[in-house]
This record gives sequence, structure tokens and C-alpha cells, in this order.
Amino acid sequence: MTSGTKNIAKAAIALFAAIALRATASPEAIDAQGLMTMLASVESATASYVETRYSPLLKSPLVSRGTLSYRRPDRIEEHVESPRDERFVLQGDRLTIEDTSGNRSVTVNAGSAGGIAALIEGVRATRAGDLAALERDFHVAASGTQERWQLRLQPRTPALTKYVRGITISGSRARIQTIEVLEASGDRTVMEVRESLR
Amino acid sequence: MTRGARSVVALWLALLAACGIWLARDLSVTTDLSAFLPPSATPTQRILLGQLRDGATARLVLIGLQGDSSAALAHTSMALARRLKASGLFAYVANGDSGTLRQEQAFLFEHRYVLSPAVRPERFSIEGLKAALAETYGLLGSPAGVLVRPTLSSDPTGEMRRILAQLTPGEGPDLRDGVWFSHDGRRALLVAQTRAPAFDALAQGRAVRAIQAAYAATRSGAGSLLLSGPGVFAARIHDTVESEIWRLSALGAVLVLGILYAVYRSAAMLAASFLPVVSGIVVGVTAVALGFGKVHGITLGFGVTLIGEAIDYPTYLFMQARAGEPLAVALARIRPTLNLAVLTTVFGALAMVFSGFAGLAQLGVLTVAGVATAGLTTRWVLPALVPVRLGSSVPGTPISVLSRAVKFAPRLRWVAAVLVIAAFGLVAWKHDRLWNDDISSLTPVSESSKQLDQSLRHELGAPSLRYLVLARGKSRQEALQASESAAGWLRDAVRKGWLAGFDVPSTYLPSMKTQQYRQAALPPREVLAGRLDAALADSPFRAGGFTPFLDAVARARSAPPLDVGSFAGTALAVKIDSQLFRNEDGWNALATLRGVEAPAELAREASRHGQEFIDLKAESNRLVSTYRDRALWCVALGLLGIFVLLCLTLRDARRAARVIAPILAAVALDVAILLLLGQTLSLFNLVALLLVVGVGLNYALFFDRRHADEDERARTQRSLLVCAATTLSAFGCLAVSRIPVLHEIGVTVALGAALSLLLAAVFAHRPEAGGSPV
Repeated sequence: MTSGTKNIAKAAIALFAAIALRATASPEAIDAQGLMTMLASVESATASYVETRYSPLLKSPLVSRGTLSYRRPDRIEEHVESPRDERFVLQGDRLTIEDTSGNRSVTVNAGSAGGIAALIEGVRATRAGDLAALERDFHVAASGTQERWQLRLQPRTPALTKYVRGITISGSRARIQTIEVLEASGDRTVMEVRESLR
Repeated sequence: MTRGARSVVALWLALLAACGIWLARDLSVTTDLSAFLPPSATPTQRILLGQLRDGATARLVLIGLQGDSSAALAHTSMALARRLKASGLFAYVANGDSGTLRQEQAFLFEHRYVLSPAVRPERFSIEGLKAALAETYGLLGSPAGVLVRPTLSSDPTGEMRRILAQLTPGEGPDLRDGVWFSHDGRRALLVAQTRAPAFDALAQGRAVRAIQAAYAATRSGAGSLLLSGPGVFAARIHDTVESEIWRLSALGAVLVLGILYAVYRSAAMLAASFLPVVSGIVVGVTAVALGFGKVHGITLGFGVTLIGEAIDYPTYLFMQARAGEPLAVALARIRPTLNLAVLTTVFGALAMVFSGFAGLAQLGVLTVAGVATAGLTTRWVLPALVPVRLGSSVPGTPISVLSRAVKFAPRLRWVAAVLVIAAFGLVAWKHDRLWNDDISSLTPVSESSKQLDQSLRHELGAPSLRYLVLARGKSRQEALQASESAAGWLRDAVRKGWLAGFDVPSTYLPSMKTQQYRQAALPPREVLAGRLDAALADSPFRAGGFTPFLDAVARARSAPPLDVGSFAGTALAVKIDSQLFRNEDGWNALATLRGVEAPAELAREASRHGQEFIDLKAESNRLVSTYRDRALWCVALGLLGIFVLLCLTLRDARRAARVIAPILAAVALDVAILLLLGQTLSLFNLVALLLVVGVGLNYALFFDRRHADEDERARTQRSLLVCAATTLSAFGCLAVSRIPVLHEIGVTVALGAALSLLLAAVFAHRPEAGGSPV
């Protein structure tokens, strides 16, 4: 091999490398791992949310409001302010449900809490960027771009499939914007989230 | 053999054969403790034994799996549960798997309108429906909405939630990978309830081995199996005690055989010397079986110990005979003393026969019949079988040393007297702390096993083995109403932190009264439909979506009330069966309790509501001490009887006192030494002391015998030495056991026998040769 051909080869490798690099940085496509890495950069997040439940049993959609807060590594809290004040805290594998109006609180382990904990866990693991944790309960598929991504979670455990058909979380960069749940009953809930990150 | 001897032997063989055949065909040995209930037993004590025998809690086996990944443990847990269910040995097996709970959940859901404590007439008024719907709406707007939604149209008032709230243990095990785990996630947990009663150690052993085999077949590699529970302990104790008893008895037998052979130098005499005791056991057990129908295992163990004294009878006879001398001649010399030796034991045990306590009476009959038979066998059969003393006379026993020691012994009187007085002082001083009635302190359950049991019990939220609340009634319905009343105050007690939780049968099977009240609270379909429409009018819910609710209420209104039969085939049937039952005192509903923190408060509250708070441990201790008190009375009466007998036969009260005093002194010293060793006394020690009295009295009687000459006296002394040596070796073997029961019996008897011999020698009167032959 001459030195000339060597140089051409080097140039070709450099060119391919550049194309490859550009591909991962491209705004066009995102994979689950890439999305997780981006989400994992967040230390803590607080958000206000508005959730709407669409159900054939209701005259008009049920709108509930509250706040979500997350702190790395494993604490997430959903504080429902209306229609009824209640607090759900998932920390580690313990779920605490606190009825602030009735002043009662129970703590159970996540596994015993059935669908509730798995749903909250879905949000927490997404927020934490923990793909392994997500994959324990769901089949995971990501699509979209960094600027506008979607994560589809399909339950894989019978405890959850009994209640939930699928969850779609969408957002932009490290920010979660909507969480949509299609329940086994046919009801659909859509949670609009306004996050501030640290 | 003379004709007379032949007919004696024939009669003896016929009796033994008859007993043997009868025993082989009809002997039933029971380990059921209820045979030991005193006639004065309280309803509480009957419940206690019922619970120990086959209470639901006593039949629980707690199972832990650990040492592997949680996924692997969960997998093993599922496979293990499947195998155990298929084995047929267990009434139920639970590992938290939702599949196993589905059937029960469906049952509870179907009957929610008679089971929910919230069902009242007001709940189905327009206002009540509005309030219930508002609550449900609130839940729907929270993360819990996903769970509420599936049953929204059939259970809009959330009755199932009320039922589950009553059942869900606050601190039960976690669920991971679909099965129960400890909170730290390292241990998968299961519970199984054996079909066999808890006291049946053999059946419990089979259950334990079935679990171990199922685990071995399903384990995924690493990891280990942990088992606990009363039945597991019973099986383990049975195994260790049994193997230890066989091992040590075999060792003891070898020693005794060795000593006797060294003394007799004749296999025939060696064999003959076991005939009285074996005949005694056979006849004694037959007598108990004939008199009581069944023989209790405890009676057998204790009784055979007491008859053990009879192994000495042939020794007294054989050692008395010179080589080549007809046994009948030797017997003539010692007959009065031998008769007394037998009669004193018979008199001592008579008080037990008439004690009125089944357990003691069995023991008494076994001792009386056994010892009498052994005495008669020694008196009539041995001389017929072995007409002449075989073998050589005891060679070279240092007779002179022995007789010098015996001569010297009385000089120790003052030392011994001081020691004995000190012993009596110690016993008197500690008289209220002598006894330990906690039977469990004698069972060889290791500290680590106890800790494992506690941690598994805590992790599983399994009920306490110690405390119960008993609600009674004349009928099943009355008992269920009492159970409902108990549930009321127990709920308050949980809120106050006196206990962590409870489980009452009326939760699943409310009384007829309550069921009828709840059914009556349900409006007719059209009325309910009208009220529902009114309640829905200004609610967020759309009308028309709740037909399943109207259907369910209509069904519940006309459904036949739940009774015990309704639960057939569900795990709930097992539960209700074990917590709602009838005995001779009427119907009983048991509340099992978890995490009891304030027993005194619970006891007070229970009696305020007409129920009973039962501390099974205190109750069993009370039962044991009742027995012990009665046994002590029997012993006192027996000693009095022995004294009267001695006075009558010896015709000399001072001599009678001289025979009996060294034995009382030996018993006092024995007890004092045990106390100084830091032990407290149990029923087992008491039985051991009875044997000491029996053996010791024989020593004293033979020491006190009047001898024709020094040679005869020396032979008597040698026979005493051999008797003591055999007793010491047999019970010394037990004393080395690590199992408390065996160790204590061994130490007490070995020590007592040695002390009896010493003190009998020390306090022996040395009557001049040639006096009365007694």
C-alpha cells in the first residue's frame, strides 16, 4: 500500500466518522437510550399539572389539578389538590398514600399497591432516565426527535395489563409535557405537565 | 423345676402372653394433651388445649426462601406453592400470588352488600348515594382512579373498598414479582396450614419433609429454605429427643449390662435380672390401657422411669445368694425387706391413682401395677426359673474397704445433719421460686430458631401464638354476634396502638342479625333506581351507566344469607372453620391478634365487653401448676402412707422415721443442689424425685435390715452398691444430654440416688446381729 492510498483511507474513515457523529446529533431521530440519557441529566423537577379523564360514565371530562415533584434518585410525589386533596409518594419501593383531608396515611410496598404504583413508577423511571426500571414493567419504544419525543410504554405484567392498555409520555429535550394513559376500561386520561427543572 | 415352680412359671408366661397379645392388638398410644385436662378445667383451658391441639395458628408452617435473586426466589415460591397444594397435606398454601386470592376476592365482591360494614339504610338514601358518589368521584381524579374505574358501574358506592380495608393487614409482607417478600426484599415468604393437628409430631414431620422435598425439586440453584412454626418445632423436638433417648438409653443399657455381668458372671442371671422390670412394664401398660382406654405417651415415659426401680429387686435377691445356694433360701432371708420395698412404692403411688386427674391417675396405675408385678416376679418367678445361684460369687470386691466405709459413715452424721438442715433452709427460703411452670423452657428449641420464628412471623404479619380474644355464645349466631362486638372494640384498640391488627370470623360471616339488617337496608330496585337518578341529577356522573349496580343490589336483597356452607371450596372456609367452632362449653368465635403491644389493656377491654382475652402461655403455665400442686399433694399423701405402712410393719415408729428420714434429707439436698446449680424445678424433676424416693427407700430399708451375721451384712452392702451403680450409670447417661428434659431427669435421679445411698449409710442404725429378720 502506498502512502497515497493510506491517506485516502484515513480521509474516508474520518468522513464516515463525521457522518456517524452527525447522525447521532441529528434532530431527526431519537432512540430510547438516547432519550434516557437526556432525561437522566435532571437532578430534581417540580411541576404543576392538569389531568383530564375522558369517560363514558361522566357527563363531562373530569379535570383534576395538582403538582408533581421528583428528586433524584428515587422519590416522586403526586399531590392531587382537586377534586380531593391526596398525596401519593413513591420513594424506593414504598408507596405512601396520604389523605390530607382525612388526615390518614398508609404506606405499602409498591408491589402490593397494584396498578397505582406501576403507573407512578412509569413516570418516575422516565423522569429518572432509568431504562432498566422501565423495562421491568413495560415494553418501551421511543420515537420523535430531541425537540419533540414520544415514549410508548406497554405494560407487560398481568397486574398492570388488567388496568392499563398503554401509556404515552411525550416531551421536549429533558422536559416531560404530557402523560396519556389508555385504561383497560376504555377511559383515557391526559395529564398536561408544566415542569421546571434543576 | 418342681411342679409348683412349673405352674408359677406357666401362670406368669400366660399372663405376659395375654397382656402382650392384648397390647399388640389394642394398644393405642395418644399424644393428645386433652387427656391431661384436670376435671376442674375452665372453658379457657379447654380452648387452650384445643388451640394447642389443632388451632389454626398452631398448624401454620411459616416458610422463607432466601439467598438468590428476587426473580429466582419468586419463581421457586410459585413452583413450591403449586407442589404443596398438590401434596394434599395442607389445608391451604398461600404465597401472595394474586391467582390464589382471585377466588376469594370474587366471593367477597359477590357478597359485598352483606359484608360491607358501611351498608346502612342511610347509605341508600338520595343523600347517602350522593355522598358515596362524591367520594368515588374524588378517587377517580387521583392515581387511584385506575383501580376504582373497573368496578365503577357495579360498585359505585365502593363497598368492596370497605371490605378490603378491614382485611388488609397494615404491615403484611410486600409483594414483589407477584409473591410475598420480606420488606428488605431478600426473603420470599409463604404460609401453609397443615391438615394434621399440631401435636401430632409424626404427621408434622411428614409435612416438613414434604416441604423440603418440594423445595429440593423446585429450587433454582442457590438459596436456602427456612421453616418455622409450632408443628415444625414439634417435629424437630420429636426427632432430636427420640434419637437422643435411644442413643443414651442404649449407652446406659450397655453400662448396666456390663456392671451386672461383671457381678454375676452368668448370662442366664443377667437375662433373669431384666425379667421383673419387663414384666412390670408389660402388665402396667396393660392395666392403664384397660382402665383408661388409651395410654398417653407422657404416662409411658414417666411410668417406665418410675418402674425402673424394679431393676434393683433381682439385684437384692441375687447378691444375697451365695454361689450355688438355692435362691429360695436367699429369698427367705430378705423377703420381708423386699416385700416392704415393693409395698412402699405401691403405697406411695396409690395417692396418684385416686387423684382424680387423668394424667396422674394413669401414672399411678402404671406404677402400682408395674412395681407389684415386678415384685411378684422377683418373689415367685425368679426362684422358679433360676433355682440355684449360678456363676461365681462376686470375686475380690474390696469387702473390707466397703464395710469399713459403711462403718465410718455414721461419724459423718453431724456434717450431714448440718448440710441437710442448710438444704431444708434453702428450699424453705426459695419455696415460692422453686418451680418453673413454663414447659417451653424445657424444650430444646434453640435461641436462633426462636429468633427465626419471630422474624418470619413479623414479616408475614402472622398472628401471635400467644394471645387470642374469645367470644362465646350458646349458639353459632350468638358467638358471631359476640365476635362482631369484639371486632368493634378491637378496631378502636388498633387505632390506640394496643395491637397491630386482628382477624375475626364475623368479618367473613356476619351474624344472621347483621346480614338481615344489611339486606333490609337495601331498597327495592325501583326505589333505588329512583333515588340513584335523583342523586345522579346534579352529579358529574351520567345517568344510565349504573345498571350493574341496580342488578347487584337487587340480587343481594333476595339472596339467601351466607352460612358456613356458602364458603365451601374457598380458602375462607378453612379460616372460618378454625375460628368458629363448638365445644362442650358452647360456640366459640376466636379473634386472632397481631402485634400485641398492650395485653393488660386488651384484657380489661375484653372483659368489659363480655369477652375473654386469653394469654395462652399464662394459661398453660396455670394448667401445669395445677397439675404440679395436685402431684405434690399426692406425693405428700404417698409419703404419709409409706410412713404408716412402715410403722405398721416395723411396729416401731422411731425405726420407721429412721428409714424415711434419710430419703427426705436426700431429696432436700438434691433439690438444694439443683437450686444452687441455678435450676428451677419442673414436673419432670418432680417425677424424677419420686423415683429417688422409691429407690432411696429401698436403700434405707436394706441398710436398716437386721442381719444374721457380718457375711450377710456384707452381701447386702454389696447389693446396695451394685444397685446404686446401675442407677447412676443409667441416669448418668441421661445427665450428659444437651436436651434440657433428659438432662434434668438424669441429674436429679443420679444425684438423688447417690445422696440416698450416702445418707442411708450415714444415718443407718446398726442393729445388733440376730435381731428381728425385717
